[in-house]
Amino acid sequence: MQVRQKDMMNEEKYIIDRVGKENPFRVPEGYFDSLASEVMARVDASEAPAPRKARQVWLRPVLYAAASVCALFISVAAYQSFSSQPSATPVAQQVEAATHQGEDSFDEAADYLMVDNQDIYACLSSDY
Amino acid sequence: MYSDEELSALLRNPERQRKAFEAVVQQYSEQLYWTIRRMVLVHDDANDVLQNTFLKAWNGLSAFHGDSKISTWLSRIAINESVDFLRKQKSRMAMSADEDPGLANSLMADPYFDGSETQALLQEAISRLPDVQRTVFQLRYFEDMKYSEMSRVLKTSEGSLKASYHIAVKKISDFFKSHD
Repeated sequence: MQVRQKDMMNEEKYIIDRVGKENPFRVPEGYFDSLASEVMARVDASEAPAPRKARQVWLRPVLYAAASVCALFISVAAYQSFSSQPSATPVAQQVEAATHQGEDSFDEAADYLMVDNQDIYACLSSDY
Repeated sequence: MYSDEELSALLRNPERQRKAFEAVVQQYSEQLYWTIRRMVLVHDDANDVLQNTFLKAWNGLSAFHGDSKISTWLSRIAINESVDFLRKQKSRMAMSADEDPGLANSLMADPYFDGSETQALLQEAISRLPDVQRTVFQLRYFEDMKYSEMSRVLKTSEGSLKASYHIAVKKISDFFKSHD
């Protein structure tokens, strides 16, 4: 380990002796004097990140469509569940099965439309 | 001139953050410029990358909680932007049909490069290193940055950074020996 360290120091010394550490680059005259004001001009001109409200407005029709599709899925799932499992299955189990199926369909629809719970809650609780 | 702690506190105050950011730009722009310039080599490119660095910092101000030093946070953005720029430049050059005159020759023709031929060759040797070795070499050799600080900037262990520096030094000295 010490040998490797010594080798590295020798190699580094070789580069320093040969090239040095001086900065060979230069900048146009007065560049640093105006740099801060130029940067701040770009910062001031930069767009502010889009507010979250705007995205909700854009998503609103999509969310209404998602809600309708989900309602349809739940209705179909509930109908199929009740009609395929007649009197032998207790009502509580049928309701539970229908609810799970409905939730799965809802999740699938939400994933497909790339909306999350927050978006849906925001839409449902908005004034529209 | 504000202290790092004062600036950190001001940056988190929405009413004063623009003024504080202006002070950050004034205090750190020259230091960051040189870090970027050593990576991208050409003045106009360094200027573009520096402006993008500050824009990224401004737009990501909410992610800065003051747990690291302002210089560490800005250096990290500057290095990421520089590496990103170099990757894009490399892929542009790979697609270009123009003949590459060699980096050392390009530098010798650059009006903002005052170095000798040997210094231009060093820059060519550095440019051939992989991104991490290139970055570590620049920060250690030219800026004398401590491994502990470099570890915070690059989010890499000190051991790994030391190994990268050793490999970079070996490759560069081999490059020179092969040119003798």
